[in-house]
Amino acid sequence: MSSALAPRSLASRLGLYAAAIVISVYSAFPIYWMVISSVRPPQELISSTALVPGAVTWEYYWNLLELTDYPAQFLNSVIVAAVTVAVTMVLSVMIAYAVTRHRVPGKKLIVGAMLYAYMFPPLLIAIPMFTVFARMGLGDTLLSVIVSHLTLTLPLGVWFLWGFFKSMPFELEEAAMVDGCTRLGAFLRVVLPLSLPGLITVAIFSFLLSWTDYTFALIMIGSDANKTVPVGLASMIGSFDLRWGEIMAGSTLIALPLFGAFALLSQYFIQGLGAGAVKG
Amino acid sequence: MSSRATIYSFLGIGLAATLLLIVAPVAYAISLSFYRMDSFVGTPQWAGLDNYARVLSDWTFWRALINGFVYSLGTIVLQVVLGIGFALVLNQVFPFRNIVRGLSILPYLLPTVVVVLTFKWMVDGSIGVLTAVIAALGLPPVSWFESPAAAMTSVILVSVWMWTPFVTTTFLAALQTVPASLYEAAKVDGTNAVQRFFHITLPMLKPILTVIVLLRAVWMFNKFDVIWLLTQGGPVGATEHLAILSYKTAFSLFDIGGGAAIATISFLILSVAVFIYFRLFPLDTD
Repeated sequence: MSSALAPRSLASRLGLYAAAIVISVYSAFPIYWMVISSVRPPQELISSTALVPGAVTWEYYWNLLELTDYPAQFLNSVIVAAVTVAVTMVLSVMIAYAVTRHRVPGKKLIVGAMLYAYMFPPLLIAIPMFTVFARMGLGDTLLSVIVSHLTLTLPLGVWFLWGFFKSMPFELEEAAMVDGCTRLGAFLRVVLPLSLPGLITVAIFSFLLSWTDYTFALIMIGSDANKTVPVGLASMIGSFDLRWGEIMAGSTLIALPLFGAFALLSQYFIQGLGAGAVKG
Repeated sequence: MSSRATIYSFLGIGLAATLLLIVAPVAYAISLSFYRMDSFVGTPQWAGLDNYARVLSDWTFWRALINGFVYSLGTIVLQVVLGIGFALVLNQVFPFRNIVRGLSILPYLLPTVVVVLTFKWMVDGSIGVLTAVIAALGLPPVSWFESPAAAMTSVILVSVWMWTPFVTTTFLAALQTVPASLYEAAKVDGTNAVQRFFHITLPMLKPILTVIVLLRAVWMFNKFDVIWLLTQGGPVGATEHLAILSYKTAFSLFDIGGGAAIATISFLILSVAVFIYFRLFPLDTD
């Protein structure tokens, strides 16, 4: 907005700065508080609300890693998210490419079903999936969590890449095919490299969905050993005593990979949000 | 491999994945809603419309439906108003703007469980930082989850904190598409900022705003995790909406047909919103 470039009064400038500070504190303070609480020594944790801790301790992290199922659950989350992202990328690229590049029957069904699936109530998927996996004797497995996550991430991937491929000119692959490439060769050598930004966005958002999911993991997993971190962490709050230091340390550790990814790839996040690759 | 074979094998895999992952679960959920089943591995018995009759004649269903509407409406209104306000601020020029923009997105990246645990820690009765701030301001202590109205308000506030960034970011991106010349012209005509917002910005961004509201409405209506983690639907059902009722029916009471029936009913309600979406934004597959 060019009005922002016009000279403005001191009062309105101060108002603007105040609003920016309010937004920052409102958005970031709870996160700051989580991190700070995870390193505050026990005595201080239950007595002080000072903004900066007097001393720093890593003991909650050690407790979490040595005395709880947290490391195993973290690994479960990594496996689930990695497989979900990989399968989502392969399938959604193929589906999105097929529906944008060819007049084929069933195209409307796929794209329509994918968009619709984007908005399904979680229990509509979770109840039948749990039933099927329980009947196959595959209840309480990471596989069941992965499959349920795919029902969230695949629609996202197809929907996003569909928009992405639509805007990519056909001439590019046609030129490659005239030069003797097969369709598959043109796809692998021309289309895929050019779609890298789109693929990164799909990977980020699939990871985000899978990594942060609580609902499906809660339903699919029963045993402590197979829980993903969100479910494992949530069950700490119901246990014998509230160990806030450990809970905040665990929360910080799940949030960290997301913030790291965001810091490195923020432009993809923002593009993705704008183009409809969204989570919940 | 010929060009057609490549496309068709891609398509075949795509159709198979769609059928297996999307169509089959929904079809199975709907069919389960017509059966009586009291264990996930037991034999289903045909029950016709019994599950629906039972669910619909139970007053907790209607309470859950109303709770769901209250929750979605409350969260959407606050998210949209707050999100637009934030976007308007972030669209101005000020020092460290990119950092503030980045910070404003962070809540959206957090797992729900982290948000809920941090909130519970911050409002802890004896040592929570919000509790301390409220006491320092001389206000009476707030019981966040004890009364039905307080629990609903808390659930809405936490949800708004988490999902406002979606509105902020989308609206901020959309603001860049409004031609600056419109504002210039309006300024020459002597309008003030408020008039320009209501007569230029809002009308120009009405289509994107419609998408935002519709998508958010659907997602808020479907939210399960945030409410479950905060209140488990309590106290005395005050925050129990259809997703929680469906979960409890299927996974605590082991009335799987009943749970499936509730999920199917939510699906039908939500299909109305999806139908409106497709009417407004027809699928352009060509």
